[in-house]
Amino acid sequence: MTSKIINMAERIKDAEDRFLESIFDSAPIADDGFSTAIVRKIRRRFWLRRLALPIAAAIGGAIAIKPLAGLVTAAVRLTSLLPQELLAATAALIPQAPMIVLGAMLLAAFLLGLRALDD
Amino acid sequence: MRNGDDHQLVVRAVSAQDTAAFGELVRRHQSQVRNFLRKLTGDMATADDLSQDCFMHAWDKLQTFSGRGSFIGWLLKIAYTTFLQSKRKSKRYAQILEQVGHKMETEGQSFSAQSEEVTDLDKLLAVLDDEERAIMIMSYAAGLSHREISDATSMPVGTVKSVIFRGKQKIRTSFDIKDHQYG
Repeated sequence: MTSKIINMAERIKDAEDRFLESIFDSAPIADDGFSTAIVRKIRRRFWLRRLALPIAAAIGGAIAIKPLAGLVTAAVRLTSLLPQELLAATAALIPQAPMIVLGAMLLAAFLLGLRALDD
Repeated sequence: MRNGDDHQLVVRAVSAQDTAAFGELVRRHQSQVRNFLRKLTGDMATADDLSQDCFMHAWDKLQTFSGRGSFIGWLLKIAYTTFLQSKRKSKRYAQILEQVGHKMETEGQSFSAQSEEVTDLDKLLAVLDDEERAIMIMSYAAGLSHREISDATSMPVGTVKSVIFRGKQKIRTSFDIKDHQYG
């Protein structure tokens, strides 16, 4: 009810309001490709964003491959230097490892399922 | 009806990332947004650049449009924010230039002097500050209600009304208009 009264009060325009409306009034601006340019810009940005991650991953991978290979080689060499008893003891300390892997796999499957439902 | 159509287009654009639906919204409202910014900046090229930015921001924020008010009211809110941000940026830029020895036009001069042909509206807008100008344009050019202007400017409705009242008074005083001279 109150809002109706307010709207009514707003609608009652005096001569001054009509004068201002006529001064502020302006001819509509023709589109002339404006909206097409906006849509083109949005689509370009959309594709750029979509491609940015795979491209960044590929570049990062290419840069990282050499030091990563060196790291793996060093790790293999290091494990061969460690006594076999120590390796066996470390493995025995984390018997829950298969459970952790299984849990992670279940979580990943659950999240993927949720995402598929969302799509 | 138009509002309903706008809302349907917004839903399509958001749910399916439908750029064609958004393009239709741009086509429908570009004139009002560009006119609003042209009046606010007093410069066509700047206004059109800001309009582009405004629609790009609108696309990014489209999912935040609740559908409560009109779509044009929501768009003008973004346009006004874009204008204020650009103004802040150019102010900072002017300060930096001043620090290195350059001088830029002062705000008052840049408005209305840019266009060769000074219209009645330019003269009228020149006596108002940015806030009054934006609110008067929203009210008298875009035809937004006080409630919609309040949403667009994040001001209480009462403040919107008093800004309009103040703007009208400034115009009356500056142009020495008496009540009986209207119409």
